[in-house]
Amino acid sequence: LGILFFFVFFLAPQNISILSTNMKHILTWSPVIIQGETVRYSVEFQGEYERFFFFFFWIPISECSLIFFSFFFITEDISATVFFFLFFLADLGARRSDFFFFFFFFNRNTTSLTSPIFFFFFFGYHLLVELEDMGPAFQFRVLYWKKGQERRVSVTLGFWVIREVSSVVHLFFFVFFFEYCVKAQSYVEAINRSSSFSQTQCCL
Amino acid sequence: SGELYCSLLNPRNVRFESINMKNVLHWSAPEGTGNGVLYRVKYSVYGVGKWIRKPECRNINRTWCDLSSETSDYEEQYYASVKAFLNGMFSDWVETTRFNPLTDTKIDPPMVSVSSTDKSISIILTAPEKWKRSPEEESKSLLQVYPGLQYNVSVLNKKTKKRWFFSISNHTLVVPWLEPETAYCVSAQIHITTPILDSGFSKEYCIATSKDKTEA
Amino acid sequence: TAGNKILHFGACRVSMSMTEIRAGFTAIKANIQARDPIRTLSILSYPHSLHKVNSSDRCCITHHLFNFYVDKVFKHCKTEDSYVNRKISSIANSFLSIKRKLGQCHEKNQCMCGQESTEKFKQILANYEGLNVTSAAMKSLGELDILLDWME
Repeated sequence: LGILFFFVFFLAPQNISILSTNMKHILTWSPVIIQGETVRYSVEFQGEYERFFFFFFWIPISECSLIFFSFFFITEDISATVFFFLFFLADLGARRSDFFFFFFFFNRNTTSLTSPIFFFFFFGYHLLVELEDMGPAFQFRVLYWKKGQERRVSVTLGFWVIREVSSVVHLFFFVFFFEYCVKAQSYVEAINRSSSFSQTQCCL
Repeated sequence: SGELYCSLLNPRNVRFESINMKNVLHWSAPEGTGNGVLYRVKYSVYGVGKWIRKPECRNINRTWCDLSSETSDYEEQYYASVKAFLNGMFSDWVETTRFNPLTDTKIDPPMVSVSSTDKSISIILTAPEKWKRSPEEESKSLLQVYPGLQYNVSVLNKKTKKRWFFSISNHTLVVPWLEPETAYCVSAQIHITTPILDSGFSKEYCIATSKDKTEA
Repeated sequence: TAGNKILHFGACRVSMSMTEIRAGFTAIKANIQARDPIRTLSILSYPHSLHKVNSSDRCCITHHLFNFYVDKVFKHCKTEDSYVNRKISSIANSFLSIKRKLGQCHEKNQCMCGQESTEKFKQILANYEGLNVTSAAMKSLGELDILLDWME
């Protein structure tokens, strides 16, 4: 996250930042409190495309224009793996002349990827791994091996990847014993990055 | 829109309604008109210069016209237009938006057939066929039209009320190691990732696993 | 995954967020196509459909077309509607990212251009220059599904 200050005025919100986890990006800041005044915030953006071809064309985010709260989801607009330039404006409702702006850039390939939460259980000779559905951008890599035989590991990107229509992904594997260990990681093709592997879970 | 005294108000809501690429033009009668209104229909291929009249839909009093034959090439896109006539008065030609058979059609659920043994159920799925001009014409499955076609299959254990979902690309699925003498209900949906198209879920097909053979 | 699609053009392998691009275009398709009153001409399909392009030329024509959209089309598609502009920006930036990947393939000679693709692209440019720039850009944007359908 590169940050350029232009100038600071009493309207400057503290802690302006983008929290980006698992391809969901939230712009947050500490609200500015001024006695008897209402501070409003607006955000506009440019992608690299606009930067090259439309230098002065900033795209307003209508849902984030003149708002009073101090966070905003920008996931929908950060929809390509290029740099996005964000223009953050805080002004006083009554006196628009007093304002503060702040300019920074962000690329979604810096999102932090958490390892998937999962449970696994046996169903007959069937290992069923239930993973949280982290969204359409995500794939899963699941490693499972017979306890004590760490060397021999079966890797699957989702044999029978099963996407629960609501919120859970099931992975079904044939197994022949009951003592198995499992760990999983998520992978996002759009940014070509994986999370770390989750904690290994073994059946007791 | 037309002035009342010498022309008729326009047909409304002119649009294509398409299911499995059976592409039918629909519209609503001009406001305030009762029976007796007649219609003419024409269509054009986007990017090609001319409008083509549909003879079978000339001076019709119904408010639909089947253009499946004329719009069967799904590598093209189309416009269609309707004009209303009543007692010597007539409306403007009213056009549809651009129609892309590949992305603007709706897909029926797949056909599901289920069989069972004592510990497993086998599911065979069949994607619907693309509309065809006549029964003699060679059938074309939507699987050939959408190579990325997948199936979401839901399997409900009626005893435990536990539901699993499978997302598979081929058309058969065997769910093994189930409980004997238990009822399972299966339904399936077609899921196409791009273009973004999903059918509804089929109705549920229930079947029971048989008695455990090892006990006999 | 439902999100990304990997298109293989021989040795050239390009990952594209097709679902994001499709979703963005679907959201504005009616609005954009309504701004194009010319039914009798297509930028991409006249006189021949992209489907007629030889498969060996697919990578080159795709590379040309992404350059065409990034360098010529999107910048003339600004509208008065902020929502439409946001979706166009989303598509344009996705195309910019893909254009770079195709460019890398081209530099590694994995995306060779034959006679046919060169002729086809010349025809596309001629169709484009046959209209005033805003009409041509809006028509090209309205034909994005023709490009996406053909690519897939």
